[in-house]
Amino acid sequence: MSTREEILARCRSSIRERYAMPSLDDINPITWDDPVKQFRQALENAGGKAVEVPSGSDLGEVIKGLFPQAVSFAGNPGEIPAVNIDPDTVEDVSRMESLDVGIVRGETGVAENACVWVPQTMKEKAMCFICEHLVILLPKSRIVNNMHEAYRRISFTGYGYGCFISGPSKTADIAQVLVMGAQAARSLTVLLLPE
Amino acid sequence: MSKQHKDKAREFLQNDSYATWHDQTFWGVRAKRDTMAGNLPEWETLREKASQIKRHTLSHLDRYLDEFSRNAERNGAVVHWASDAAEFNETVLGILKGHGVRKMVKSKSMLTEECEMNPFLEAHGIEVVETDLGERIIQLGRQKPSHIVMPAIHLNHDDVGELFEREGISHEKGNHDPVFLTQQARLSLRHEFLSAGAGMTGANFGVASTGDVVVCTNEGNADMSTSCPKLHIVAMGLEKLVPDYDCLAVFQRLLARSGTGQPTTTYTSHFRKARPGAAPMHIILVDNGRSTWLSDPEHWECLKCIRCGACMNTCPVYRRSGGYSYSYFIPGPIGVNLGMLRSPKEHAGNVAACTLCQSCQEVCPVKVNLAGQIYRWRQQLPAFGKANPTKRVLSDGMKMVFSHPLLYKTATGVLKPFHSRFKKLEK
Repeated sequence: MSTREEILARCRSSIRERYAMPSLDDINPITWDDPVKQFRQALENAGGKAVEVPSGSDLGEVIKGLFPQAVSFAGNPGEIPAVNIDPDTVEDVSRMESLDVGIVRGETGVAENACVWVPQTMKEKAMCFICEHLVILLPKSRIVNNMHEAYRRISFTGYGYGCFISGPSKTADIAQVLVMGAQAARSLTVLLLPE
Repeated sequence: MSKQHKDKAREFLQNDSYATWHDQTFWGVRAKRDTMAGNLPEWETLREKASQIKRHTLSHLDRYLDEFSRNAERNGAVVHWASDAAEFNETVLGILKGHGVRKMVKSKSMLTEECEMNPFLEAHGIEVVETDLGERIIQLGRQKPSHIVMPAIHLNHDDVGELFEREGISHEKGNHDPVFLTQQARLSLRHEFLSAGAGMTGANFGVASTGDVVVCTNEGNADMSTSCPKLHIVAMGLEKLVPDYDCLAVFQRLLARSGTGQPTTTYTSHFRKARPGAAPMHIILVDNGRSTWLSDPEHWECLKCIRCGACMNTCPVYRRSGGYSYSYFIPGPIGVNLGMLRSPKEHAGNVAACTLCQSCQEVCPVKVNLAGQIYRWRQQLPAFGKANPTKRVLSDGMKMVFSHPLLYKTATGVLKPFHSRFKKLEK
């Protein structure tokens, strides 16, 4: 018998009583009159920043204005003309080691905890983590109240990876002092797009 | 009961200022958890649902394991099964050797601690680099975690600063500022991510309906570990399964709020397949006692645990005795119970480390009756040959006296003349 079959057989013989799945329809999760406002507050609490982008703005200019010192920008060149590194064609992840700004599209934002669902849309997802500063583009209309709503909406691309991101990388592992920028991006800016 | 825990706790308490800091730090985390819980009107409903979902999933584990493994394979992952720690370690080694890997970066996994994987791989010539900052610190110091979520909580910034100087991670002698030290670790780990041949993650959850492996971190180290090397290996205990996304939402909302008092971890990463150009993702499902514990009518619900750490944060004994006072590698209320499931003979000393205040089960997000189970383990001590003989004689004597009214009356009659003397002594 394979280890798989052995383990499944042990489980079957160990289980004494089979419990039913509870209904999850009566959780009544929290909602907000203004989920966008709550999202902004939660993002600030998580150490991130939300910036409203007026309609008709040039996204490339907005981003460059936020990071005047930055030299390297990575993202989808079809979307942001200002980028000079393309994570689809970069020959090796190590080429992004000193990347200043990574720019990526978010699919769903969550008001309760400022999570933004970021499905992988580029060949090298390292861009989202190895950059010093991460920028997520999120249409305001895609902000839902809570994780229950979010998990009913999220989708994957063929890359088979996605991540809820809420704020910058952080740690308190040295003497419980909170420090931003542990192993991944030091800052997170969510650009709230009109549509 | 053994004095083991008591003796080690006494050592811990020698350093009064540190012991006070430890106690207050964890009480602070507990208070943050309370704030989070208080902000959600549905908090208690979530805990109850989480408990029921886990009961359901564990009592249909055969079905969900089958579903998860089929979906993961459909996604392109290679699924391995390991009955025990030895089989797990050999499987990891086999995969690494097959890909010619000499260095592996990894994110935090209590399962790999349980299986003592790192020393095993190192003995076979493979360098293993922990990438969670706390885990990295204790790895460099050749120590064990003293808490499952905050593994280096027993060290202060001077300890870490001196360690980093010794290990060549920090080159500015005497600069023990946590911001500076974190930055030095970041630079050092960047090099490790980019030069490793493989990345390993644990798993907070496995989603049966989709085959997703879900990993929650604040540092982003699981994502760095899997975005740079060309091989991703997942170490996952059987009990990590949840049926689907609707269930996952319940646990995602509870995990960080309970553990660290945050509304979410920074990253909740879903892995279905390897990155382009990489080898297929390998998932190793590890039993190592779990399928047998399922049959224990009194203690099987320990398998519901999602490793948030809330029970140790709130525990008055853990807070005042530290992780190293316990003999099992997981401390606190859940560790006492898991240690007893693992080996009662080895870990019976830990059941003394409990006041039965039940604070742990009041905060447990999946409602494991931790204190209730510790109480039950205590009743079973004689069967393991671990009961304290003096206490045993006393308690047998009391039982005899209390269950025979005549004997009770005689005994109290005999003691009556001493009553007033006791009163005086009390004053």
